[in-house]
Amino acid sequence: MHNEDDTADTLGLHFFGNMTASISHEIKNALAIINENGGLLGDLVLLMEKGRPLDPERLKTMSGNIRRQVQRADDIIRRLNRFAHSAHEPATSIDVREIFDFTTALAARLATMKGVTMTIAPGPPVQMEVRPFQLENLLWLCLKHLFVVTEGSQSVEFAVAESGADILISLRFGTDLPVAEIGARVAREGQPLLAALQAKMQIDTSVLQLKIPKKLED
Amino acid sequence: MSEKVLLIDDEKDFLEVMSERMKNRDIDVTTTSSAKDALGLAASGSYDAIILDLQMPEMDGLQTLEKLKAINPDLQIILLTGHATVEKGVQAMKLGASDVMEKPADIQVLTEKIKKAHARKIILVEKETEAKIRSILSTKAW
Repeated sequence: MHNEDDTADTLGLHFFGNMTASISHEIKNALAIINENGGLLGDLVLLMEKGRPLDPERLKTMSGNIRRQVQRADDIIRRLNRFAHSAHEPATSIDVREIFDFTTALAARLATMKGVTMTIAPGPPVQMEVRPFQLENLLWLCLKHLFVVTEGSQSVEFAVAESGADILISLRFGTDLPVAEIGARVAREGQPLLAALQAKMQIDTSVLQLKIPKKLED
Repeated sequence: MSEKVLLIDDEKDFLEVMSERMKNRDIDVTTTSSAKDALGLAASGSYDAIILDLQMPEMDGLQTLEKLKAINPDLQIILLTGHATVEKGVQAMKLGASDVMEKPADIQVLTEKIKKAHARKIILVEKETEAKIRSILSTKAW
């Protein structure tokens, strides 16, 4: 027998799969550049043995490239580690904007692939008590369905505000996007997640709004 | 004769270092980080092999592959990707890719594949020339 959390966790597994596949691709790209720089170093040594002078400036550039890619891979792995731990984190008090930051960082590569620019509206911290992974998952679902329907360059701005016992998360989309279709897709696939978070969705012309209690009722 | 290669990847650092390694192996390489620009280059240049990243902004690798093949079905395209799933690999081969390689790639293996692509292209050009000559001979009353 499945309860709401089981089904939301199944969605979570899909989310986890999407993110780790994208992250591993990013790591592979960094490794490929490190690999080619290492290979080029070998090429230059062979050429030097054949009489071509070795330019110290070239070596400095390569060393800088390698260090930059190692730093990039390290940042990606730190993000992956935080993401992996968030999967089993219980409901806790979080700042919604921090979740925006983290989710957009996770989805950044996929957004670039789809030509989507993501921004976060500035504002004071907004606290709520939630399982961070479930909120990340819900935001990802919105992005995922945006990526499905979008053609060419688009934008989305994340904003959050308090409204009594609830928080209001708004995703303001760029022009000409079928926001109702994105909302319908999120409602269909994310139904167990919306139920687990006790979230209600509202669609405006260019805004998808999620109303979520600051603290879940038992 | 040096092989002429078009290298397409959205990672500019990768393009820079990989093209230098290819040049060290006497390969004549042109690079671009844009799939759209790649279509223009492929239409105007005569490449022995095109090395294409599977995941690109603007247009994904499979779409780019399809469009490149529409420009010239004889183009020898090698896909180079962070993660080659069996499904994507099969899809790419069905769309006419000559080969699929995972990053990080071994430059010796890649160079061998470029040489094979060059050889395949020569055979295709010879076959086309032969067909053209046959066609001319069959229509002219010589």
